[in-house]
Amino acid sequence: MGEQLRKVGADQALAREIGLTAQNIDRRRKIVGLGPEDAKRIASIQDVVCKNADELTSTFFAYLGGLEEAKPLLANHDLLERARDLKRQHIVDMVRGDYGVEYVEQRLKLGILYAKAGLDTRAFLGAFHQLLRATGLVVMRHHAREAAEGFDCFTSLTKVAFMDIGIIVDVLVSERERTIRQQQEAIRELSTPVLQIRDRMLLLPIIGVVDTQRARLITENLLRAIRLNRAKVVVMDVTGVATIDSRVASHLLQTVTATRLMGARTIITGLSSEVAQSLAALGLDLGKFNTACDLQSGLEEAEGLLGYRLVSTPHSDGAAIS
Amino acid sequence: MPVPVLKQGDILIASVVTALTDKDLLHLKDELADKIGRMRARGVVVDVTALDVVDSYAARMLRGIAHTAKLRGAETVVVGIQPEVAFGMVELGLSLDDVETALDLEEALAHLRAVGARRGRRGQ
Repeated sequence: MGEQLRKVGADQALAREIGLTAQNIDRRRKIVGLGPEDAKRIASIQDVVCKNADELTSTFFAYLGGLEEAKPLLANHDLLERARDLKRQHIVDMVRGDYGVEYVEQRLKLGILYAKAGLDTRAFLGAFHQLLRATGLVVMRHHAREAAEGFDCFTSLTKVAFMDIGIIVDVLVSERERTIRQQQEAIRELSTPVLQIRDRMLLLPIIGVVDTQRARLITENLLRAIRLNRAKVVVMDVTGVATIDSRVASHLLQTVTATRLMGARTIITGLSSEVAQSLAALGLDLGKFNTACDLQSGLEEAEGLLGYRLVSTPHSDGAAIS
Repeated sequence: MPVPVLKQGDILIASVVTALTDKDLLHLKDELADKIGRMRARGVVVDVTALDVVDSYAARMLRGIAHTAKLRGAETVVVGIQPEVAFGMVELGLSLDDVETALDLEEALAHLRAVGARRGRRGQ
């Protein structure tokens, strides 16, 4: 029951995301040119299509079976069974004449299933075309004597089909976008480590693009780590930041200022010569930046601030490691 | 609620325990300025650990305290600014540039001792 409820919730959330309101569905019908006379024509072929629904469903999946790109769906037995049921339902619904919210929600279900199974959009389109072709043959056989009438009926049906394609493609695209968003989030989470490398000394390596959101995350993480480790010096290494424009620089400056408010000092290392030149050319007030040319000298300076002194000890056999 | 000011050797410790009104801050400033002279203090520590908001007025008062203390011959250290507060202050553009900060009371006392030692050396 709970599972069922959650699923309904997900469908509705997706419907909202794609913007499938009653007006939007109405608009989609207008775009494909689906009108009352189409409904009448489709009604005339309802029986014959429904009679052949099983065969048509098989055509669709048989075609998919021959495609390398459809493997993920066909390999998953449970999903395939559900897809088969939904597809058969789809064919029956297509000729039922009701293309409202309920119809669209049914299509969404199938779209989500395709997305979950990782069905390739091209493979889907190919198979759907086969399905339409087979349906067209059924319709033409039914209207064997009046070909023009048959063609009109079939054209009406393709309007519905194109509306469906629009919905399914929207679902596939939005699901893909969601995956990308989730991955970006994960990268973001992973990419802001704050490391303690000596007592009261933190290292903050920044890699990649720094935007406002990420700068905020970095600063928050850093401030929390300062409190937690009672840090006094922070070495911020920006070797991995390819370009620093005025916005990124001001983010860095904010981080440095916040760090100072917590009573810690920041040493920035790894500003390459290009970055340094461009920052100087931008004319930003960089007086607050305490910089060292590379990570090594930054760490050495930080150690000095904390009163550490690095002494090399002779190896046990008397010779220094070389 | 007025802020209690404790004396520890030649250092005054003002420990803020609740949210402060503007009047409390003003009062704290006057009291510190007065006590620095009377108690011959060389250092002032303002502990704001309990504050969960520092607005522009509070920041200006903290700077005012530091400047006044400086003119009276004492060094001021603000301690205990929470991570969220620090972040909020930076977003408001309040950087307390000319005020010394430290993580906690212990750090502040160590800093003031170091400053005192430097001054002592200079005096000799």
